[in-house]
Amino acid sequence: MLNSAAQNATAAAPLRRPRSLLRDTLQRLTKDVFVVICAVYLAALLVIAIAPGVFAPVGYAVTDFPEKFQPPGTVATQGTLAGHTYWMGSDKLGRDILSRLIYGTRVSMAVALMGASISFVIGITYGLVAGYSSKHVDNFMMRIVDIIYAYPTLILIILLQVYLTTLAQKPPDEMGAFGQLVVTIDNASGGLFFVFVAIGVVSWLNMARLVRGQTLHYRQQEFVQAARVVGAKDQRIMGRHLLPNIIGPCIVAETLAIPTYIYTEAFLSFIGLGIQPPLPSWGSMIADGYGAMRTAPWVLFFPAIALSLTMLAFNFLGDALRDALDPKTRK
Amino acid sequence: MRKFLWLVPILGLLLVLAAGCTAAPAPAASTGDAAPQAASGEPITVRVSTIAEPSTLDPNLAEDTYSITPIEQLFLGLTNLNNETGVPEPELAESWTVSDDGLTWTFNLRKDAVWSDGNPVTAKDVEYSVKRAVKPETASPYAYVLYLIKNAQAINQTVLPTDTYDIDTLGVKAVDDYTVQFELEAPAAYFESISSMWTLRPVPSWVIEEFGDAWTDPANIVVNGPYLLKEWKPAEQLVFEKNPTYFKKDDVQIDRVELDVISDQNTELALYESGDIDVAGDNAGSFPIEALTRIRSDATLSAELHEGPRASTTYVGFTMTKPPFDNVLVRKAFSAAIDRATMVKDVVGTGVPATQFAPKGIFGAPDPEVGIASDVEQAKAWLAEAGYPDGEGFPTVTYRYFSSTLEEALAQALQAMWKENLNVDVQLESMEFPAFLASTAATVPVEEMPEMWRLGWGADYPDENNWVYEVFHCTDSQNRPCAECTEADELAKAAGRETDSAKRIEMYRQVEEMMFGDEVRVAPYYHRGFTILAKPYIERAYPAFAPPNWDTWRVNQ
Repeated sequence: MLNSAAQNATAAAPLRRPRSLLRDTLQRLTKDVFVVICAVYLAALLVIAIAPGVFAPVGYAVTDFPEKFQPPGTVATQGTLAGHTYWMGSDKLGRDILSRLIYGTRVSMAVALMGASISFVIGITYGLVAGYSSKHVDNFMMRIVDIIYAYPTLILIILLQVYLTTLAQKPPDEMGAFGQLVVTIDNASGGLFFVFVAIGVVSWLNMARLVRGQTLHYRQQEFVQAARVVGAKDQRIMGRHLLPNIIGPCIVAETLAIPTYIYTEAFLSFIGLGIQPPLPSWGSMIADGYGAMRTAPWVLFFPAIALSLTMLAFNFLGDALRDALDPKTRK
Repeated sequence: MRKFLWLVPILGLLLVLAAGCTAAPAPAASTGDAAPQAASGEPITVRVSTIAEPSTLDPNLAEDTYSITPIEQLFLGLTNLNNETGVPEPELAESWTVSDDGLTWTFNLRKDAVWSDGNPVTAKDVEYSVKRAVKPETASPYAYVLYLIKNAQAINQTVLPTDTYDIDTLGVKAVDDYTVQFELEAPAAYFESISSMWTLRPVPSWVIEEFGDAWTDPANIVVNGPYLLKEWKPAEQLVFEKNPTYFKKDDVQIDRVELDVISDQNTELALYESGDIDVAGDNAGSFPIEALTRIRSDATLSAELHEGPRASTTYVGFTMTKPPFDNVLVRKAFSAAIDRATMVKDVVGTGVPATQFAPKGIFGAPDPEVGIASDVEQAKAWLAEAGYPDGEGFPTVTYRYFSSTLEEALAQALQAMWKENLNVDVQLESMEFPAFLASTAATVPVEEMPEMWRLGWGADYPDENNWVYEVFHCTDSQNRPCAECTEADELAKAAGRETDSAKRIEMYRQVEEMMFGDEVRVAPYYHRGFTILAKPYIERAYPAFAPPNWDTWRVNQ
């Protein structure tokens, strides 16, 4: 049996080169123009997020008080920004909304990347180990996931914030190394540390569940048993045999989860728990615009549009990826 | 039968939906700009709003404007601050005299004042209220304004339960049923203003003794003012009705006032525009700049907008014991670098630029203003003189404020101005209000203090004593900037005891100049203003100090 299977494989090779998963997926994705547009849009956002200073006409904190609430397209005539055109209008401190939107991209993209990496690294490892381990270990690990899942995230963030405020008021020598590290990270991220923690705490849970389910399914398959028979170690089986099989659904799940991270940040900044002023994020800009809705709708309009478009683009891309990666839809 | 069991939940759901549809409110009659009493004979009702619910209706315990406004309608003071002029006028007291040494004040009460349960309002009630406010057990937050009464400070600061006090040593006495006499610690020309305050308004002792803390519930409360409290729906509405036992009831036109609790100013404005409330902005800060911009560009709304000073000042506090703000030149530079005119015009949208603490209209407030004027070149020169030319080598400092939309905008504006004019980096830090207050108290260790912080002050009574002395005196006040005692403190205390008004005015001018021009304990930058929208049929005064008197309002037929 084994011999004949091997012969079949070698015999088939010259006839048709096996298509790589990546090439196959790309080919399917690029067939749809709409998906290509989404991908290009997201790539552009990423570039903007990496170097907002290159694209933004002015800084995010440059104020020009007399030019407050100027409608889109107005040219400033007085103050620090005289001669500058507000392509998307100005807010209540006369700041350029376009520039703030561009700097705000950085926050959204950082949150997306942060959430994705945490969820990939922790979620996949955790799920693989749980799914591959004995029943008791699996049970124990998944109950931990259930407990964290049940914890109200908002309360966690508020508690953490209270903790950090108390910590930050202490003199450096009383903080301890951990305290200093936390305060440093929070300052460096402009108050975004809690948003990261919040997203970090919850983002990997779904991924862990998904990976565990997939692992449970694949560990029974012949190729895993075969690998074990030839003496492969557990790590090798998980890394080389199981992971490549389950990575497809993971990518899809991740793409569909990213909008929720972006939304979480926007929501937290909206209620004032996120980024500290004057640093902009789309959520804090929407919070600013909400009060001015009837006076200067553009303050609300542009960040809301940017947020919606980005969430939509991620969702469409995720959908398309799922179709492209699903073996059942292959011709 | 069993076959159709699945229909039960579905039918139930349909029933709920149907009920939801029929229970929808009937369309309310549109009021628009018509006065609310169309048919004659109907009670005249006025609907006003408050941004926060009163925390108490007990005059001895009230401290916030949301409580003081309803208390003003329910309880009478010995005197009343005239809504137009701010000058004390007779209310419960028909007349009052002061002895030649300025220490004994005698108030003669009117004899026709009665409580809403029929009892006469007597001097005993005044005595009871003052004693209750001063007793340490009452823990009145405003007891300190009574410290000028003989022995009040000693009694109020008694440490319980280790120490004891004798309340009968307090300098207040009912001479007969309609005469009450106060003995003061030192002469105080401003006592007639203090006698208008809610803290010492007579309260019904028999009701308090019967019901305890629950005496202010609508079912129990007994009042003596122009209005009665009819109803109090928590976090929703307070209903007031004309008091038929009030001695000037014939001068009160409005029969019923509904005070709606509306915590969002945008909602308040929308309700005003839809005609659901008649007056907006009375018990709130000024409208946000977003709303003001729209109101001013709208023909109808701008005609109904009333603006004026609020007798209240916002300032930047400096921690004077913490470098680099231990250097007076740095403080001067930071004060001069604030573009006050822009702050008022473009960031707040209302108010008056300030360089001194007390606003015009407060007795003793210098006019024209003294202090440090906004001047970028001068600010740069001072910072250079302090050793930081063009901001070089200046450490990053923190400005702490409390979370509110206006304060966030002000903080960002200050940060931008200091950056642009002085080239220094200021970090912003926001906190919830109670935590913020606690974190900037003078008792906080200096290393935990931010270098700068936001604070403000609003008048309790219109006299400088309530400002420079009660807020900034180095030992007798909270002294949040942690200033050391100087000549200014002595002068502020002496000015309170001076009886010659011309001399007092000159002394306060010097104190203001020393505290905010020479020492720069804080940097006042604007006097707040009120923005009130009132329908055209409402005729009323817009007081700068005291809460409005609803009994003087008129609804034009």
